[in-house]
Amino acid sequence: METSSFSKPSNMDGTQGIESQGTGVKVANPRTVRSSDFFLRFLAFVTSLVAIIVLAVSKETKTVPVIIIPSLPAISVEVSAKWQYMQAFVFFMVINIIACVYAAISLVLSIASGAGSKGLFLMLIILDLVMAALMFSANGAAAAVGMIGLHGNSHVRWNKVCDVFGSNCRHVVASVVVSTIGASVFLLLIVLAVVSLQKRSH
Amino acid sequence: MASTEEHTTSSKIAPEAQVQRNNHSRGGAKFSPVDLSLRLLVFASSLTAVLLMVTSKQTEFISVPGIPIQVPNTAKFNYTPAFVYFVVALSVAGLHSIVSILGSLVRKQSHSNKLLFHYILMDLLMVGIVVSATGTAGGIAYTGLKGNSHAGWGKICNVYDKFCRYVGISLALSLFASVLLVVLVMLSTYTLYRRST
Repeated sequence: METSSFSKPSNMDGTQGIESQGTGVKVANPRTVRSSDFFLRFLAFVTSLVAIIVLAVSKETKTVPVIIIPSLPAISVEVSAKWQYMQAFVFFMVINIIACVYAAISLVLSIASGAGSKGLFLMLIILDLVMAALMFSANGAAAAVGMIGLHGNSHVRWNKVCDVFGSNCRHVVASVVVSTIGASVFLLLIVLAVVSLQKRSH
Repeated sequence: MASTEEHTTSSKIAPEAQVQRNNHSRGGAKFSPVDLSLRLLVFASSLTAVLLMVTSKQTEFISVPGIPIQVPNTAKFNYTPAFVYFVVALSVAGLHSIVSILGSLVRKQSHSNKLLFHYILMDLLMVGIVVSATGTAGGIAYTGLKGNSHAGWGKICNVYDKFCRYVGISLALSLFASVLLVVLVMLSTYTLYRRST
């Protein structure tokens, strides 16, 4: 008895909230939840888009002196650093593109459908969860390779590359940080949805 | 009214159904058998992954240019910060799963939905930690397997074959654990969802 009387007004408030400023709102909570849901989805879209752009423009070309024969003077060679050269950054890029597209689609879906459809609500929670997991793994991979680039690893003789490609490394760090914010936003979206489920289930 | 719907979620197994019904009518938060076995599997796989990663030490004789004799060289997990993070994260996940199993066994009476909510939050945190650890270690392991000619990072798996095999199996197990954790969160959310409608 209690559950049915609680869940129905929350649906009505959610749908009315967008069309006409919610006349006669009894419970203010569902509307705040829905508007913050839109805001967070938009934030996820923006952060993943920024991460994609920042990494995409990170190409850097430098001339490096290379000594082939010790008696001759060093020959300057042009080397370039691109994100396509590292598999981890390719993975990061692909996952961020997927997240960006998903955030846009889910924003449109959740605005268009209103709070009425319960199936969509559950589907969005599950897809958000999968997206958050993929984003976190991509961030981890990119951050690990970036750390090797920054500090190197003497045990396996992997030299650092960030002393040569400074601008490229700054782009990578900024991109990973922004993308981590995006992944946390996806996590927050799930927490928000679960909180509203828990509130409704009393 | 609300308790009748809770029965439907956990009345799959016949002999335990009676016990579970009694628990639910008092508001107890016992896990379903599926949930409990998933948690046990998470514990087992994360423990195995940690043990494999810790025991993956390998020493090989390598010829270094400039020195005529071969020099012993060791590959250990704690030479790479990513693998250290991996070990710590999976230990935390294993600890969390065993504590949550024990907590569900000890605690008989509480508010069911609230406890489920807290379990979802903690599981969600574990998903984030384990998945990021898998991604981190996977990125490094892939670079070790294939090398990267653009950055001048040579592959190491042709030298340290045992080390790489152990790390690979450990990574596969942690991937399995992270998938299980995601499924666990999905199941708990679905239970909460069914109680809310």
